[in-house]
Amino acid sequence: MPETNSTTGFALTCWSCNVRTDDGQFCKGCGKIQPAPAGSDYFALLGLLPKLAIDPAALEQRFHQLSWKLHPDNFVRSGDFERSLSLDRSSQLNDAYRTLREPVSRVEYLLRRRGVRKEGATKQQAPPELLEEVFALNESLDELRSARRNGGSRLVDLRQKLEAAQQNFETRLAEVDAKLETMFSAWDSALDRGADESEQQELMARMNEILNRRSYIRNLVANVQHELAEENA
Amino acid sequence: MGRTVGIDLGTTYSLVAYMDCETGRPRCIPGPYGTPLCPSVVSVDADGSIVAGEAARRRLLTQPDRTIYSVKRLMGRGVADIAEDVKLFPFRIAPESEHVIRVRLGDRVFTPPEVSAFILRELKSWAEDYFQEPVSRAVITVPAYFNDAQRQATKDAGRLAGLEVLRLVNEPTAAALAYGLHQEQRGHVAVYDLGGGTFDISILKLISSAEGDIYQVLATNGDTHLGGDDVDNLLLARARQDIIEHYALDINDYPEALQELRKDLIAAKHALSDSDAHPIRFPLPSGSVYFRELRRAEFQEWIAPLVDRSMKPVKMALADAKLKPQVMDEVVLVGGSTRIPLVRRRVEEFFGRRPHTELNPDEVVALGAAVQAHILDRGVENMLLLDVTPLSLGIETMGGVVAKLIPRNSTIPASAQELFTTGVDHQTGIDLHVLQGERELAADCRSLARFQLKVPPLPAGMARVEVRFTIDASGILQVHAKDLHTGEARSVNVQPSYGLTDAEVERMLEESIDFAEQDFAQRQLIEARNEGHAILHATEKGLREEAAAELPAAERARIDVAIGALRTAMAGTDYKLVRARMDELNQATANLAELLINRVLHATVEGKRLDEV
Repeated sequence: MPETNSTTGFALTCWSCNVRTDDGQFCKGCGKIQPAPAGSDYFALLGLLPKLAIDPAALEQRFHQLSWKLHPDNFVRSGDFERSLSLDRSSQLNDAYRTLREPVSRVEYLLRRRGVRKEGATKQQAPPELLEEVFALNESLDELRSARRNGGSRLVDLRQKLEAAQQNFETRLAEVDAKLETMFSAWDSALDRGADESEQQELMARMNEILNRRSYIRNLVANVQHELAEENA
Repeated sequence: MGRTVGIDLGTTYSLVAYMDCETGRPRCIPGPYGTPLCPSVVSVDADGSIVAGEAARRRLLTQPDRTIYSVKRLMGRGVADIAEDVKLFPFRIAPESEHVIRVRLGDRVFTPPEVSAFILRELKSWAEDYFQEPVSRAVITVPAYFNDAQRQATKDAGRLAGLEVLRLVNEPTAAALAYGLHQEQRGHVAVYDLGGGTFDISILKLISSAEGDIYQVLATNGDTHLGGDDVDNLLLARARQDIIEHYALDINDYPEALQELRKDLIAAKHALSDSDAHPIRFPLPSGSVYFRELRRAEFQEWIAPLVDRSMKPVKMALADAKLKPQVMDEVVLVGGSTRIPLVRRRVEEFFGRRPHTELNPDEVVALGAAVQAHILDRGVENMLLLDVTPLSLGIETMGGVVAKLIPRNSTIPASAQELFTTGVDHQTGIDLHVLQGERELAADCRSLARFQLKVPPLPAGMARVEVRFTIDASGILQVHAKDLHTGEARSVNVQPSYGLTDAEVERMLEESIDFAEQDFAQRQLIEARNEGHAILHATEKGLREEAAAELPAAERARIDVAIGALRTAMAGTDYKLVRARMDELNQATANLAELLINRVLHATVEGKRLDEV
């Protein structure tokens, strides 16, 4: 097994030619593919700083450049070990691109990495300013379900009400997304300024809150869509 | 190393193709009947010998109980999955079917990968005859919507046929590769692939970059049980009903006649792609003749629901790709069933543009497979294919709910890591259940495999096992586990829910040793024929030399006889006989060789250059 640095997990020497190596994808000595550094971060895999405002076209281009080099198509005739390295590295590259391509999964990833956001532990509480609207919506949903069961005559009416509510919440979703985007710039400029840990933590906490609200509203929209689809079926 | 071929292992027909390096274009390899279409039919003789392809198809009419078609429908499936198929296809499912279906052919029993392997062997031999050299590596295409078990079954079939399967490529993606090479397409491309038994839709983005062309699949969807077979079954059901009503005879009671009728109806289906009506005159076992004029209008009315069924996956793929039908730059039609005018019209209406049909829809997938085979042989030079996994991958959690790990339409290879721990003190194993599908509950998804992670007995929650799920470039799942305390890799013995275990494939390989010998004989024959050609060529060249005139007439006659005998042997299949005839010819030409050599020596002395002699 190659010697590894215990803190970064980066291979220090090439597994094939034993030349000292950096954290690059290929050995500078013999050109062989190297193991991915353990626990490497998706931003780093794509050669990026952990910033949140990312130009999608540039990201795609970077993804393609790395794909040309790491894709298993290049390693069909290599040995088992190189083939497995290519499989690891190219699957990580694809995972990284998939995660960072979408703004929401990008920020969620950053917050999880930094321990701010816990998997499966996101709060599903209604944001206070939405409480009234949420109550009204749930009431309409209940009415719709019972009206459907009993073949009630108010179906058309309720349907319109729900569609209006859905529109409303979709607008809210767009507002949240806009807010998130503002936070992205705030985060990026904080990084540029070399903001300290406490400032970073505060920004991340605010983004986490926005994400919780977003996921709550998104669930509402999905519920309404589901009910309306049932209606059509 | 020999060359890698591309194989389209289809429901109705299979093909093998290669990249012609002189023209830079892929080409299909014709079989002994002159066509590159090899019927995906396998038949077992009374003496146990097996035939595949056209010869087997002919026996479908005479020995239907020993012959099987459309076996692709059974690949990677369980007994419960195929209840509908069994009603419509003459599959004789053996009672010993468990996690793998077993079909009965005559008095022998085979798994679907074994049956498919016979088709692959046939194609392998076509390629070996064509190149006059052994072929042992292949790229095989599969429907894009095939799940893990169906892919694994296809790979097993390749292995059983003595082929190293370098990659499984999705059929619509292969078609896009062939078209891309054909006409330099760019932008967003939709590939609508309606084959014999499966339907796929893939949405691709074709990008030119500094390094070369990238074929990136954005989304795929489909139905692995929708195709020309369904059209045939529909026609057959109509005809059967007709015959019951008018002739008081159930054609299902006559397996031979049923296959004959099916054949006629398929011919009628083909004819209706070009004409408005087609007469069916079918002599019934009772002696009377079933006559019916099949009109295109009624045919289209019957099959409209089938065509409609294909449009739902099309819409879902577009939604996943976040694209509208109007923004497609190109639409490509693939698969024999897209010859049906109604299918063409629906697709054209939906996308609002005329679909491409320039390449033969039967051949285009095999041609694309050959392109990918070439890429793998040479390494990525100027083409890169980025495909996706068609179905989400997840694991079962508390309450039978599926936790998604890798979403559908993720670029492959793709992976996900999960950390597992124990819930009870001194627990020594953690059970995992891996599934594929889009539904919330495990019961509604496709079970891929179950396995147990071994952990050392520790207090609850102390064990830490990291499991890495990787979907490789062929769309097949690999599982690796690591104990985070020790850093040791833990072996994972995955028991596939619907498929052969490695041990079973190994055993089948051993059992098929007689087929391996057949392969060896095949290779020997190819080599012997190659050498035979060389000797014949040299002898004939020698006989044209001036020096040959000095041969006595009897000796010349002996050579001619030996040449004839060698040619006859080379037309046969016994390599030992070819070798024997080669030796005889060598003996017969001993004097001729001497004469020629003397002549050369003489010429050299006279100061002539050797190549002028």
